[in-house]
Amino acid sequence: MASSWRLVPGQALLHRGWDGAYVLYNDLSGDTHLLAEEAMSLLMALRDGDVTPEELAAPELADMLATLRQLDLVEPC
Amino acid sequence: MTHVGSLTRAQLGECLAGPGIHLRTGRFTTLLRSPIASVADGIHRLYGDYPLSSGFADFHLDLVRPATLRRWLRPQVTLLYDRRSMFKPLPLDQAFPMFEWGLNWCVSSRANRYLIIHAAVVEKNGRAVILPAPPGSGKSTLCAALVGRGGWRLLSDELALLRLEEGVLHPLPRPISLKNASIAVIRDYVPGSVMSRAVTDTAKGTVAHMRAPADSVARAGESALPAWVVFPRFEAGSAATAEPVARADTFMQLAQNCFNYSLLGAEGFTALAGLVERSRGYRFRYSKLDDALAFFDSLP
Repeated sequence: MASSWRLVPGQALLHRGWDGAYVLYNDLSGDTHLLAEEAMSLLMALRDGDVTPEELAAPELADMLATLRQLDLVEPC
Repeated sequence: MTHVGSLTRAQLGECLAGPGIHLRTGRFTTLLRSPIASVADGIHRLYGDYPLSSGFADFHLDLVRPATLRRWLRPQVTLLYDRRSMFKPLPLDQAFPMFEWGLNWCVSSRANRYLIIHAAVVEKNGRAVILPAPPGSGKSTLCAALVGRGGWRLLSDELALLRLEEGVLHPLPRPISLKNASIAVIRDYVPGSVMSRAVTDTAKGTVAHMRAPADSVARAGESALPAWVVFPRFEAGSAATAEPVARADTFMQLAQNCFNYSLLGAEGFTALAGLVERSRGYRFRYSKLDDALAFFDSLP
C-alpha cells in the first residue's frame, strides 16, 4: 500500500452531509457516492494537507483508502 | 384564451385531423395532430379544462396510422416527434395512451431546465409532497385518491419538475395513469371521477387515465415548495406505517428516480441537495386508501 496519497486532481468535493452521512458528487466520473463521516473527513483532510504520511500509512486506513481509490476520488502519489 | 372544452367533439376532431391544436399543459405547449378518432375522444374527455394557444409549441406530435401492409390485418398507430418516427408502432387501440406516454417522453427527455424526477407531486397550503415511483409502489393510485378525495392539488402524476435555480416545483397537471385493478379501485373510491376508455393488452396491462381536477389545471401556473418525500408501498393487508428516512438515503433514492440527474451534473446535485434539505423523508406502507389519506393529512 502506498504511503502517500492525494485527491485525484479535479475533484471539488461538492458534498452535503446530514446526521453523519454524506453525499458527494464526483466531478470526474459524474457519479454520486454515499459516504460515512470518517471517509468524508479523510477526503477533506487530504484536500487541506491536514494529514501526515505516517497517518496515511497506518493499516487502519488501508481499506478506506482502497475504497476511495476504487471510486476514483484519491490516488497514490 | 379558449379551452379545449369550447370545441365540440366534431370541431375538435376536425382541428386534430387538420392543422392540429396547440394544447397547453403547465409550462409546455404541444402541437398535436391526429386523424385518429380515439385520440380526439380522449382529448375531448380528459382535456376540456386545458387552454389552447397559438404560435410557438415546445413539442410537435403526430399520431398517425402507418401505411404498411399490416394496416389491413392489424391496424397500428405511430407517434411522430417533429415529424420523425422514433418509437415502435403500437396497436391502433393504444393511440390515446400512446399520446400520454409520448408527451411524458417529450418532457422527460427535453425539459432540462428542470431536474426531472419520476414521481407524483401533490400540494396543500403551498407545500408539496413528492411520491417517487419504484415499480409496484401504487404511486398513481395514491395520487388519484389524494387529489380526487383528499383535497390535495395535483402538480403531476408522473414527472416532478424541480426548477434548478429556485428549487421550486412547477406543476404539470395531466391525466393520472391507472393500471389494472387500480382502475376499478379509483372508480369506486373517487365519486364522479372521469376516465378515458380502458385499453387492454398494453405493455403495462390494462390502462385508463383519470381526468385531472379542474382546479389543479386552472392553477397550473402556481409553483410549490417541496416539504416531504414519501416513498409509498402498497402491501395488501398491512397496517399504515410511516418510518422516517435519513436525508442522505432520501437523496440517493431520489437520484435513482431522476431522468436527467447525470446529464445535469453538479447542477443537478446541488438542486437535489436543496430539495432534500427542505424536506422530510418517509417510507410509507399502506393497504387502505382511507388510512393513507389520514397519514398525508397528519404530515408535520
